[in-house]
Amino acid sequence: MATAILEQFINGAMMGSIYVLMALGMVLIYGVMHVLNFAHGVLFMVGGYMAHLYFFNLTGSYPLAILCSMASLALIGMVLERLIFRQLRDNLRMQIVASLGLILIIQNGVVQLWGPHALQMRPASVDALVRVGQLSFTVQHFVIIGVVALAVTVLYLFLTRTRLGTAMRATSQHPEAAVVVGIDPNRVYTLTFMIACALAGLGGALLGPLFLIFPQMGDAPMLKALSAIIIGGMGSVPGAIVGGLGIGILESLSTLVIPTDYRDTIVFGALILMLLVRPWGIFGVRVRGEH
Amino acid sequence: MKLSLSAIAGLALFVLGALAPLIFGSQPYILYVLTLALCYAIPAIGMNLLYGYTGLVSLGHMGFAGVGAYTTAVLMKDFGVPFVPSLLAGAGAAGLIGLVVGIPCLRLRSHFFIVVTLAVGMIMYTLFNNLDALTGGAEGLPGIPRPEGFAIGAFEVEFRSLTGFYLLVFTVTALVFLLQYVLVRSDFGRSLSSVRQDESLAAARGVNVFAHKLFAFVLSAAIAGVGGAMKVLFLRAAAPLSFELQESINLIMMLILGGAGYLIGPIIGAITFVALPEFLRVASELRLIFFGFVLLLLARFAPRGICGLTEAAYTKLSNREKAVVAHT
Amino acid sequence: MRRLTIPAALAAALCAQAAYAQEETVTIGIVTAETGPLAAPGKFQMNGFNLAVETINEQGGFEVDGTTYKLELQVYDTRCNAAEGASAMQRLATVDQVPIVLGELCSPVAAAEAPIAQDMQVPLIITVPTASNLTEQDNPYFFRINAHNGQLNRALADYVQTIDAEPLAFIAWNNDAGRGGVNGMQALLPEDYEIGYVGYFNVGEVDFSNHVTNIRNSGAKSVMLLMDEEPGALAIRQLRDAGLDVQLIGTLAMGSNRFLDRLNADYLNGMVQYNSFPPNAPLERIKAFSDAYSAKFGEESHGFAAQSYDAVFAAVEAMKAAGTTTDGAAVRDALAELSFEGVIGPISFDEQGQASPPVYMTEWCEGGDRKVIFPAEMVADCGAG
Repeated sequence: MATAILEQFINGAMMGSIYVLMALGMVLIYGVMHVLNFAHGVLFMVGGYMAHLYFFNLTGSYPLAILCSMASLALIGMVLERLIFRQLRDNLRMQIVASLGLILIIQNGVVQLWGPHALQMRPASVDALVRVGQLSFTVQHFVIIGVVALAVTVLYLFLTRTRLGTAMRATSQHPEAAVVVGIDPNRVYTLTFMIACALAGLGGALLGPLFLIFPQMGDAPMLKALSAIIIGGMGSVPGAIVGGLGIGILESLSTLVIPTDYRDTIVFGALILMLLVRPWGIFGVRVRGEH
Repeated sequence: MKLSLSAIAGLALFVLGALAPLIFGSQPYILYVLTLALCYAIPAIGMNLLYGYTGLVSLGHMGFAGVGAYTTAVLMKDFGVPFVPSLLAGAGAAGLIGLVVGIPCLRLRSHFFIVVTLAVGMIMYTLFNNLDALTGGAEGLPGIPRPEGFAIGAFEVEFRSLTGFYLLVFTVTALVFLLQYVLVRSDFGRSLSSVRQDESLAAARGVNVFAHKLFAFVLSAAIAGVGGAMKVLFLRAAAPLSFELQESINLIMMLILGGAGYLIGPIIGAITFVALPEFLRVASELRLIFFGFVLLLLARFAPRGICGLTEAAYTKLSNREKAVVAHT
Repeated sequence: MRRLTIPAALAAALCAQAAYAQEETVTIGIVTAETGPLAAPGKFQMNGFNLAVETINEQGGFEVDGTTYKLELQVYDTRCNAAEGASAMQRLATVDQVPIVLGELCSPVAAAEAPIAQDMQVPLIITVPTASNLTEQDNPYFFRINAHNGQLNRALADYVQTIDAEPLAFIAWNNDAGRGGVNGMQALLPEDYEIGYVGYFNVGEVDFSNHVTNIRNSGAKSVMLLMDEEPGALAIRQLRDAGLDVQLIGTLAMGSNRFLDRLNADYLNGMVQYNSFPPNAPLERIKAFSDAYSAKFGEESHGFAAQSYDAVFAAVEAMKAAGTTTDGAAVRDALAELSFEGVIGPISFDEQGQASPPVYMTEWCEGGDRKVIFPAEMVADCGAG
């Protein structure tokens, strides 16, 4: 039994790292812009398709395809922020409506362009297997963990050691004060959105080849990542990491004790529980009047 | 008459609706689409109470519709309970679940409330899908009977035909609309609006914010239950996928499309939302993309929906100041 | 070349005109999922319909009551949504006025379409949904050409008991197809048959590591995969990569070369699956279909395509027998009496509208081809599966 628990723990951590990658982008957008971007899942999916496109049509190099995918998503993010979300600042409900509209357009647009069948992409890192005890993983699994760790580090350094990053943190803490000290909120918001979309693209480019690239590939991870950032604390990067890993591990362990058709229910149950008991999350800061 | 434009529009809709079987007698397909639209209009009215007048976004509301739907369906199909008690039981069950969900969750603010309703909706969908013995599960529940007809003197009323059922849904929708009207125009309705506009201020003025929110939530859940029941009675089959996340999202979208906070907003929204794809069937793959763009345009330029645009145009044209009851 | 003499030219013109006047089209209705999460299996269904229409039209159409008709399809996307399915059915019956409707992919949607078929007197032949209760509703206008869960599971349950498969594990879609399969198997297997593990996953999920670990720890000797080919390929890969030497039992999507392309012969060796027909069987009707399919679509055929192909022929035969292309009630009566040889086997509908096509089982061989292992009269060696 103990080995089963350990094995599921590791399985869960692997999947959890994907949730972390998605959650990082979402928590950035929420923390800085106070926008709940439901469209993050489809952007993640586009990242996978972009990686496939670049890999097969432009360069046979997987790392290069990933970078191009991230760049494409950053560009898309800039366009979306400028055209859509900038005009809807402070209007939570219309932001949600807009992101729902985006989901329809992007998801069905992808089906129009690539068809409904799943695409396969198998770079070398996906075919090479690694054994961990009785469990078998691909090199790609470890690549994902490594990349996530790298992304977190880079993000941390960016947010704390650079001017732009500090500007982002300042804007997230107090938008008006940030303006007073000379920070251009528009620039900050656009940059935030671009970085978040690039992270989404990175996630899709990493996950797609591991399994399959298909139009719904971001839907479930988005909901899990949403749960992750709430459980971890909206606006908290360490919260996103703990939340993402935690959810992956929780759903994995749950298959040991409850019928597997309720695996999702466990995650949403944990989400509801956290919201009722401690809505500001594990690492979040309680703001009076906001909960 | 305070809102003459709205009153005219409402009356016109009522008359047209009542006469629809005559107007579209030779085109049963249009009548069919209208019936389906009304089945969505009912939960949309409930949503209007919750979102349009109280300001709460619920992304799992079709879950309550599902509770009402399955309760009514199982009672009528497996236990032979007649229509009216079954429908009331469905509404009651949905309202009860609304109470159970609302009490702990309504104290959460905006973002958090939205997410918790999303999670609740997903859990309800999973239950509909997994509890095979109770709901028929993922394979669906076929063979749901239509309500029994009755006779008034020599006049036969039946609900098996399209016309018969249309008139039934129309009646139910009209009753729910009346309920909405009475509520919105009452003092309670005004307090609800004050809660939507500024909670702290309303509380400072002595409004029991929580009680108001809870009442609105429970009532909107019960109304959604009625809508769900009518829909599965119409289709004569129930399926868990009819009550999943995308359907809840559609509910909000049709309300916003029609105009949240307007009495006839949900009805306009439901009819447009259901009718539009039917007319766009020729471009079936593209209609969802088209609809996505409609939403973007709505969010950016017309957050008040069709009713809002109409009102703005009317105001511009008539250049009059209007005393508007329920929105900022 | 001699100039055509005037009388000959006139005669030719008259003939052409007469032929033109004789050629009409019949439009039959199709409901399927062209978008949404089940669009991939929906594609195979459409392929079957399109191939049948093309085959019939290329042979000059079909003749009813002295007039030759070509076939056309009016397709509506129901996206596995009950309300959409019902309104599509209503539209086909009242606006497009088709004499018959074919298709559908999802059981609960078919359940919503069935009452409309009865109300509007337009027969509906479904070609994919497997919920058993669909043909238990006493609906004279509802027909199903494919085997339902009870029939499929019967074959699987019988097979499973002939091999050393206990404990048996499942990995299944958490939808009508998957859950129906699991429930059906559990009902048909004897009480004391050991089920090691049941793993459900949602359509769109791709990571099976949880299930793989649990299956290994349950000591299961066989795993039944109740899903379509896209997740199926992933599940098999993950199972085999984890070193699990279990007997794999799959669904009809997993018995084709297209599935082989997603994996390779090593992964699939020894796997068993049910199918509605073995694409390489030497029977003339199967060979003709398989060749035509790969010629047109460039890949091996899919069971759903074969089922749908036969449905079109059933519709045409019914119209011919009824002597009408517009009277739905007459077509329905003809369908009830119909009996013909389809690609998937002999087709005839019982009093509940259910056909009983044979359920085949094929097994993957070492070299990447397949053999037929069930039913006994169709058993064939590697290469004919």
